[in-house]
Amino acid sequence: MTDPLHGEPRRRLHPLTPLLRGLRTFTVVVAAISLQGFAQLGLIRGGFAVLLAVLGALVLSWVSWWFTGYQVVNRELRVYEGLVWRRSRAIALERLQSVEVVRPLLARLTGLAELRLEVVGAAKTEAPLAFLTVAQAYQLRDRLLRLSTGDGTGDEPAASAVTQPDGWPTERVLHRVAQRDLLGSQLLTPQAMVVPFALAASVFSFSVNPDLSLVGIIGAVTATVGVALQPVRRVVADYGFTVASSPSGLRLRHGLLETRSQTVPPGRVQALAVTWPLLWRPMSWLRIRIDVAGYTGGDGELSGGGTLLPVADPGTAKRVIGQVLPGVDVAGLPLVAVPRRARFRVPLRYRVLAAGLGEDVFAVRSGLLTRELALVPYVRIQSVRIVQGPWQRGLGLASVHADTAGGSVAAVAQHRELAEARQLAAELTDRARRARGAELLG
Amino acid sequence: MTGTGIDPWAADTSWHPVSGKLVWVRLIGLGLGAVPLLAGVALLGAFASGPAAAAASALLVALLGFRAVMVVRAVHSWGYAEREQELLVRHGVMIRRLSIVPYGRMQFVDVSAGPLERAFGLATVQLHTAAAVSDAVIPGLEPQAATRLRDRLAALGRTRSEGL
Repeated sequence: MTDPLHGEPRRRLHPLTPLLRGLRTFTVVVAAISLQGFAQLGLIRGGFAVLLAVLGALVLSWVSWWFTGYQVVNRELRVYEGLVWRRSRAIALERLQSVEVVRPLLARLTGLAELRLEVVGAAKTEAPLAFLTVAQAYQLRDRLLRLSTGDGTGDEPAASAVTQPDGWPTERVLHRVAQRDLLGSQLLTPQAMVVPFALAASVFSFSVNPDLSLVGIIGAVTATVGVALQPVRRVVADYGFTVASSPSGLRLRHGLLETRSQTVPPGRVQALAVTWPLLWRPMSWLRIRIDVAGYTGGDGELSGGGTLLPVADPGTAKRVIGQVLPGVDVAGLPLVAVPRRARFRVPLRYRVLAAGLGEDVFAVRSGLLTRELALVPYVRIQSVRIVQGPWQRGLGLASVHADTAGGSVAAVAQHRELAEARQLAAELTDRARRARGAELLG
Repeated sequence: MTGTGIDPWAADTSWHPVSGKLVWVRLIGLGLGAVPLLAGVALLGAFASGPAAAAASALLVALLGFRAVMVVRAVHSWGYAEREQELLVRHGVMIRRLSIVPYGRMQFVDVSAGPLERAFGLATVQLHTAAAVSDAVIPGLEPQAATRLRDRLAALGRTRSEGL
């Protein structure tokens, strides 16, 4: 039905899209008018205003749906949108960094899904295709991923095997985070630990001063909830976290209400960071993030953009890291500490700071309370920088930065001995060049 | 240089300085920024007299003089070198920085010139990689040098072009 040279007909998103979008505006409008507004307008007039706004929103989103379309032409995905300001965007699939199938709660109830593509150089997610049917979304994802690696037109009959939900037949589960570990790890966060104290303090102040106003109580409750919200959100977002490997790349699935399934093709991981928070050390738990160019994971920090494992034991971590960065052993990295005189610059951290040149990765350890080990494959290094501040010059130290296309993991070997820093920079440049050469040759 | 500098290949790199005219561009920029300050000093001198006002104006002038010296030193600290595979850019007086950017990692090159730079016939070349922090900016280049560098970088980038 398709001709690889001329592509295929433009397709529209799912017809339920305007309705879902309209429903979203409905909640916004109701919130905007608020209780007070309803009281002033009266129930009938208030209801009428809401109806009018929602109808308007429905018409607008229907128009936008009508003029939105997508099309795969050769190795490009084209997205068209807009009635007045027409825009069509062509996304080169070789540059695809990651594909994510997101299903917000409403979309899950209606059997729909949103497809998000990440490319480099975009401030936010490019071309979120919302909404498609689940089967369509998975099918399109697998097809785009096949096209991105460059074999064929992506229309092979084999495609039928992958149309099943989320590519079950072809993927291999590496690790599934246990619910109990996830809960426990989020209870062992500063925010969660504060809650009992906050409650005790509220109860205490109430018992001392029983005629506390209602406002005071509400204030204490909202403050407590506000603090506790982040761990709760993390549990909801990372619920059922599954790491799997599939032929098209690394696959991460998680979420309780809104489910996400991200696929990162091979060679798209720019950097990896292993974190040991202070409170987790008795359990010897750790957390792993990966840096994928362009990926922010929606609303930044809270959605845990770039989480590879929200919590794991060292054995699991070793196994999963070995899959993401083949041949890398976290325990066996040749880390070298900074010279003792660095303590005049960083009196506490100098014991922790270390850096080393592994077989395929540059490794940097930092952080006193929350210890972090950043790993950057030589192949992914974009540039190398040496920076020396006035204090460092006095002490004969310098810092070496290995820059990658990501942005959330910083590999900075701080306060190295000057001669060593120079050598490190030269060696990093050299290794990066050789690794790139090897990768280009295949 | 070999003992205390931050250049890893100090022995076999030939550094190009940026144009000396950049000193004037930067000094005029500093002067324009200091106009409100100088006006304040003048007002102070006109309306208030006494040791406090004199000390304040002296301090401000000394501060400006110090900034001017730093600007001159900062301009002289800029330099770039073309190695076989990488472009090196260094700058900074208090905080010294050296960027090593492989040609193959180059995404695009910008040549820009502000009004002050244009008045002195200078241009700025900036190399962009996929990493936002790469920091390879060379200000104060003569137009011929800037276009030559840009074309050379573009050519080198093409032959060594790579993905991420």
